[in-house]
Amino acid sequence: MENKIAQEKMAQLEWYISKHCLWQYNSRGWDRLIQNERILTKTKQLLRGENAKDDDTIADRYYWSEAMSLQGAFKRYFPWVAETSKEDIAQILDLLKERMDHTMVHASLNQELVKEKY
Amino acid sequence: MPYHQFKVSECIPERLHHAVDKGADEDLTDALPLGYLNTIPGTISERGCAYCGAKHVIGTPMKDVIHLSHGPVGCTYDTWQTKRYISDDGNFQLKYTFASDVKESNVVFGAEKMLKKNIIEAFKAFPQIHNMNIYSTCATALIGDDINAVAEDVMAEMPDKKIFVCNSPGFAGPSQSGGHHKINLQFLNQWVGTGEPEIYSKHVINYIGEYNIQGDQEIMRDYFLRMGIQILATFTGNGRFDDLRCIHKAQLNVLECARSAEYICDELRVRYGIPRMDIDGFGFEATADSLRKIGYFFGIEDKAEQIIAEEYARWKPELDWYAARLQGVKMCLWPGGSKLWHWSHMLKTEMGINVVSVYTKFGHQGDMEKGVSRCEPGTLAIDDPNELESVEAMYELKPDLIMTGKRPGEVAKKIRIPYLNVHGYHNGPYKGFEGWVRLARDIYNCVYSPAHSLVHLDISKDEIPTDKGFATRESLSDVNLSDEIKNSTELREYTGDYDPIPRLRKKMEENQYTFPDPVTGEWRQVPLDTILKGKIVDVE
Repeated sequence: MENKIAQEKMAQLEWYISKHCLWQYNSRGWDRLIQNERILTKTKQLLRGENAKDDDTIADRYYWSEAMSLQGAFKRYFPWVAETSKEDIAQILDLLKERMDHTMVHASLNQELVKEKY
Repeated sequence: MPYHQFKVSECIPERLHHAVDKGADEDLTDALPLGYLNTIPGTISERGCAYCGAKHVIGTPMKDVIHLSHGPVGCTYDTWQTKRYISDDGNFQLKYTFASDVKESNVVFGAEKMLKKNIIEAFKAFPQIHNMNIYSTCATALIGDDINAVAEDVMAEMPDKKIFVCNSPGFAGPSQSGGHHKINLQFLNQWVGTGEPEIYSKHVINYIGEYNIQGDQEIMRDYFLRMGIQILATFTGNGRFDDLRCIHKAQLNVLECARSAEYICDELRVRYGIPRMDIDGFGFEATADSLRKIGYFFGIEDKAEQIIAEEYARWKPELDWYAARLQGVKMCLWPGGSKLWHWSHMLKTEMGINVVSVYTKFGHQGDMEKGVSRCEPGTLAIDDPNELESVEAMYELKPDLIMTGKRPGEVAKKIRIPYLNVHGYHNGPYKGFEGWVRLARDIYNCVYSPAHSLVHLDISKDEIPTDKGFATRESLSDVNLSDEIKNSTELREYTGDYDPIPRLRKKMEENQYTFPDPVTGEWRQVPLDTILKGKIVDVE
């Protein structure tokens, strides 16, 4: 998929997350990176029809639950998601993860993200 | 996103970075209001103090507890009964408030002996209550009273009593948010892990950051119980002290108000490995999504879908009746902390309301990230506004209503803008599907109040129209509605009860819920006493 098109589709998914999801707002930067990594990776796996469960821990089950909810919403809101190839889904979701890390952590203006303790 | 310069604050240059106008095609990396900083001298803040945040917001909703402020009587009086955090067992926490009534002589000679006497007196006056929260105040923190030592002393003398000491004097933070932080961690450190709960379901959660304002918790509790989920404890609305000692035993922390209670969730995750799941219990889609993902977590998504379908069928036509009449209404959404992000997008998509400004009194930058993301371009976002800024914003934005608390709400009324109390609520509960319809109804009644429309007439100079007769809300709201909507047989106004909580409590008493056995998974009923007052075994 052309990068420009992938970026446009990624922006739609980012819009959905910004309006509906709360998991990306944990109060520390390191925590947000983990949330983005675990939830968006599992979302990508689910959209590609892959196994998205790493183990039987409740932590993993939590990330999987968020991912299940997210992939369902992506399909409801954006019919193109179900028709997109596995390769293109990976490309779009990788861009999304990169974008979320940038906006919510690396370029964030939130001064609390670097505090050591909760 | 440019920072917003209030004319009234040109003389306080530090205020500039506390407000932004959300621009189109811009994101959170362009501008973000500062937050959770000390109020700037010269500005009249609408904030509360750290004592208020600890006691009034989080501590006091605990229902089987004597709430005693160690300080002058005004501290406890002014944090009493201003929020309707009801309970299902008689509202002890609302009926009574306690203070040690510190005076000048105590400041000079110490107040510990008097405190001990007062604690014992309070326990003896209410022998059915076995738990107490003591809140330090500015005065007793400054004189250095050792409240913990006094509490230990009393517990040694009265072994059936438990005392939690909350050290969060008013000056301990920039705002009430400092108190939220302190009481979260202090309760965790002092009492969590000291009880072993009775587990009766395979699926166990804590419901965190929920304060049962006019019954919010009881609306959500009904959904969770219908899914077969055991609520180990609610932190803290309608919550029992003993249940809260056991929150380390849940499988999932369901977090509603992250602003006031993310700290305890984060620490429970670190110390006990319990995941934190943030949810939105306001709005149809948001509530449905929240139930759905809790369902996924426990593998009971079919139960969640069933509830969602039932609730949509019952309440969606009523929400849509109001939504048809609220399209384009301009609102300033000015709550304390979390509702600016819980509500802004759902108000737009489910009621058609244009949120033209969001503000927070005590929120952090994280709350503004959520709020700014969820509102539309053109929205003015303000951190810790002073009263003059609020007035300037109202004159500039000309909203149809303000949703805020009592203090700024009264200011809004003075300049003829109606307001809804979204702290203690007008006619809540507002959570869940039915609650969201009740909020839509309150907004509708507020915006289209025939009586309120009269305030725009100034009898000293305006010509008073005498040719206009009787008006109703509907005659005002339906002027531009299509016949199709006006005559719809599907849409209808709210048909629920004046107060929906008695209905939910009756349902609870009838014990209609079933739960999967923790071992066998077999669905069965559980005795009501176990659901409401499960046995707690003390552990070291």
